[in-house]
Amino acid sequence: MNWLKKTMGSATLAFALAGGAGTAQAQDDTIKFALLQDFTAVYTFVTGEYNQGQQDYLTLINEEGGLDGTMFEAIVRDTGNQPQRGIEAYNRSREEGAILFDFLSTPVSRALVDQVIQDEVVLITALHGRGDASDGTTFPYVFPMMATYWSQATVLAQYIEDNGGLEGKKIAIVHIDSPFGREPIPVLEELASEKNFELRAFPYASPGNEQSATWSEVRRYRPDAVFIWGAGGGQSVSVREAIRNGIAPDSIHSVVWLAETDVANVGADVMTGVKRFEAVATGSDSPIIQRIQEKVIDAGKGAGDSANVGTTYYNIGVATMAVSVEAARLALEAHGAPLDGPKLKAGFEMISDFDADGFMPPVTITESDHQGGGSGRVGQWDGNAWVPVGDWGAAFQEIVRKEIEAGAADYREGK
Amino acid sequence: MAYFLELLLNGALTGLMYSLVALGFVLIYKSAGVPNLAQGALVMTAAYVVWIFTSYGLPLWLAVLLGAVAMFALGLLVERFLLRRMVGQPVIMVVMLTLGIEILLRGLVPGILGAAPKPLNAGIGLSPVIIGDVFLNRAYIVGGVVALLLIGASLLFFRTRLGTKMRAVSDDHLASWAVGLSVERAIGLSWGIAGIAAVGAGTLWGAVQGVDWTLSALLFPAIAVVILGGVDSIAGVLLGGLLVGILGSVVPGYLDSYVGGSTRDVVTSLIILLTIMIRPYGIFGREDIERI
Amino acid sequence: MFYRQSGVYHTRYAADRALWPIPADRWQVLALAALALAAPLLVSSLYLGSYLMPWMIWTAAALSLSLLMGLAGQLHFGFAAVMAMGAYTSVHLVRAGVPFELALLGAGLFAAVIGTVFGAAALRVKGLYLVMATLAMQYLVDWVIVNVPAISGGAQATLRTPQVRFLGLPIQDLTSRYYLALGWTLLVTLFFLNVKRTSFGRALIAIRDKDFAAAVIGVDPFRYKLLAFMTSSFLGGVTGAVLAFCYYRAVTPEQFSFNVSIQLVAMVLVGGLGSAVGGYLGAGFVLIVPIVLTNLIATLGASQWIDISQNMMAHLPLIFYGAMIIGFLLWEPLGLAKIYDNTRKYFLVWPFRHSRS
Repeated sequence: MNWLKKTMGSATLAFALAGGAGTAQAQDDTIKFALLQDFTAVYTFVTGEYNQGQQDYLTLINEEGGLDGTMFEAIVRDTGNQPQRGIEAYNRSREEGAILFDFLSTPVSRALVDQVIQDEVVLITALHGRGDASDGTTFPYVFPMMATYWSQATVLAQYIEDNGGLEGKKIAIVHIDSPFGREPIPVLEELASEKNFELRAFPYASPGNEQSATWSEVRRYRPDAVFIWGAGGGQSVSVREAIRNGIAPDSIHSVVWLAETDVANVGADVMTGVKRFEAVATGSDSPIIQRIQEKVIDAGKGAGDSANVGTTYYNIGVATMAVSVEAARLALEAHGAPLDGPKLKAGFEMISDFDADGFMPPVTITESDHQGGGSGRVGQWDGNAWVPVGDWGAAFQEIVRKEIEAGAADYREGK
Repeated sequence: MAYFLELLLNGALTGLMYSLVALGFVLIYKSAGVPNLAQGALVMTAAYVVWIFTSYGLPLWLAVLLGAVAMFALGLLVERFLLRRMVGQPVIMVVMLTLGIEILLRGLVPGILGAAPKPLNAGIGLSPVIIGDVFLNRAYIVGGVVALLLIGASLLFFRTRLGTKMRAVSDDHLASWAVGLSVERAIGLSWGIAGIAAVGAGTLWGAVQGVDWTLSALLFPAIAVVILGGVDSIAGVLLGGLLVGILGSVVPGYLDSYVGGSTRDVVTSLIILLTIMIRPYGIFGREDIERI
Repeated sequence: MFYRQSGVYHTRYAADRALWPIPADRWQVLALAALALAAPLLVSSLYLGSYLMPWMIWTAAALSLSLLMGLAGQLHFGFAAVMAMGAYTSVHLVRAGVPFELALLGAGLFAAVIGTVFGAAALRVKGLYLVMATLAMQYLVDWVIVNVPAISGGAQATLRTPQVRFLGLPIQDLTSRYYLALGWTLLVTLFFLNVKRTSFGRALIAIRDKDFAAAVIGVDPFRYKLLAFMTSSFLGGVTGAVLAFCYYRAVTPEQFSFNVSIQLVAMVLVGGLGSAVGGYLGAGFVLIVPIVLTNLIATLGASQWIDISQNMMAHLPLIFYGAMIIGFLLWEPLGLAKIYDNTRKYFLVWPFRHSRS
């Protein structure tokens, strides 16, 4: 019995400490967003900057007086990409009153989709999780709210279509060998048969630190354009191997996960010309980032290293919170305080043409479309910065929609 | 044919870079009989250490030199304060202890120095070395040469007076004790040298893929290398590395498009399994004879 | 204190062979069982669903592995793959219309078959090489799951578990899922405690201590090593199925990655090799301490007690996890079970200092 007493005793003490502070901070109207992310395992390449952007934006809103006095609070925890830690963090935050969750981890999000729908709280899955959750009727409380990987692939394809045409081209998709890496292939295959271009997929082993054999094969395929579909360290290896194998930088098109760290890794001059999908504007020029700089960073209230402000992933973090706060604002206007899951969901579905002062493509979320239109643009590294080479827009959404509905139908059947 | 040659040569060079990771493992196993599953994490730590020196503006050669000193010290410390207490314990305890060190380093180092990937510029150009229609990766050529140099240096080292002592220690701890050799010092030294080997591997792999915790995942191919070559053979590291690299490049090069998935990890796993089933002590390893 | 015992004095062999020879121990077990049964009434759904239930399921997993590592002395660094086999088999069987009870059995049997293949390596090698061989098999199983859509469930690589009934009762709400998990864990515990008292268990221990010597006294190492792998994999497979149906309710490949194998070995070692109490303590410690620590650090950080970066804060539980493994191996290699045992022995004859148990 002694060990029991001891463990129970210390556990209770720890719980009391951990839980006590939670309840002490619980004020009635504070809107709580739970950012329970992976800071230590697979997503380390993005989480730090992404989460910093989210926290800084919430601080900005609070500094500006909140939404008519209603303040925001971020609950930040590490889940280490482990579903069981994610489940605990989710349940605890829910007891603390959080109504919006962001896991930025595909395994954790997938493990909790059912629970979130049952508990009627909002789950945002920007740039991760299931793409088919864009079907709002099947997944009422899940909001991908940015272009899914399918939409990213179509936006990149549209760019090629607009600049020389897709017909007769040979396109190689070089991807990490995981469900995420394979995700865009069906959409691209569909496009290939519609637009008459040739497509071939080249997988490389996870995590992608060594891809030389794959690229030897890609080079012999002589592609006109290459899509690289990976994340983290593997991305800079892909770019480097592509250039080494004589593939022109400006025919390399990347998924959204290609950022400043990868540029530093490959070399800023070498990478000139490489294109990527952009979900959100990069850099500190946008009014929204200016406001953060002035009221949060310069005031010393930033959540991390101020050098990160304006980086790709930081801005994506800001954008997720900008949309979420906008949803909260609309929900408060329409349904009044205190907010809960269903009200916030309704708020999300009222968002129409929201672009955060040109910071991101106009997002319109409806009851059936939780992707928000699937818009983005193509950005190109010009040697110093990422510059847009196209306008915000979505492409081939009917194909994406087909994919979304097929996935959602499977989900409804309990698969 | 050119395709095959390219896969073969790039694979061989990659394999040599795996050997670099495996070298530290073998050095420690040879002298102390300890399977060091923390070698991947040591490589990661070394890469971070070199990165932090270069980020202060030091030239790469100086950063590598200072990194080697630091990692030598770290190796000594790990041996003195952790592994020395495990002498005579069952292998599961030792394996788990090194895994504990692996987890600790993987938390501590990115925790202090930042988890986002860091660039490490080794000053190796991107353009390939072209022979006919064969493109060779310049970074891998440098890596292969460094690996060959370090493996050669290790082989030579074991011919020096100090190295002879270390071989004696690795042959028989008790007998070495009896003739007055310091077993502790020899084992400590092997950890220090493994730390230096980690600097070589960390710098080269860090330059290839950036510095973050995923460098510690290099442990898995390195294990295939040592199992194939023999856990206590330095020459085995060389041959094992070449074979693992070549098979891991040629087989996926021809099979991947048919399978629709990357077969490299399968090849690596099968190398480990088949070696263990057919010839557990590897190509050059010493067969242990067990008595009741 | 509550033992009120001056030593252990039995007058009949049956009393000596009992699982818990001392009355106070029996009362403790009963009280704990009663607490576990009443838990849904006592604790909130947060603690029931996120602490107690995973603790129970991982205990069953740790005990299954402890049977192999602690009793038979065979190292296994791919146990998560065995559990994955059980989880995937059960989900596919239930979807094919097999009743849940049979699907659980099928999960165990399939895992046992594949687990025995893992065991084939043990016939050839032991120690370090066995670690490497099982590790390689873990990678192979992971690869097959990820690369065969028919197993992993297509593009999203997620398989939701269908709603099932167990012996006529629906396994849907948290309480019923908790009871199923608890029941399975108690069953595994009873099996584990009793197997040590059978000839099978004694044969395993003989093999652990020295397989050649065991062969000399007539214990066939070939047969018993395979049997050990089979039994442990059967239990692990069913545990994987219970984990899928009771806890995750959606199966994805990441749930059974290599890290989970390491976690399971850590549970067995931190708890104490071959000890039932150790299984419970080790699973609880390895599973729950990082979670508690994450929450504690976040609270301290929020109240400005400690001023460290977000990045460092997030890495502290990982650091602690590694340090904990190192600490136990250095200072208490026999694990938490030994600490429990020492405490118990101290109190057995308290207030006197020496025991004769």
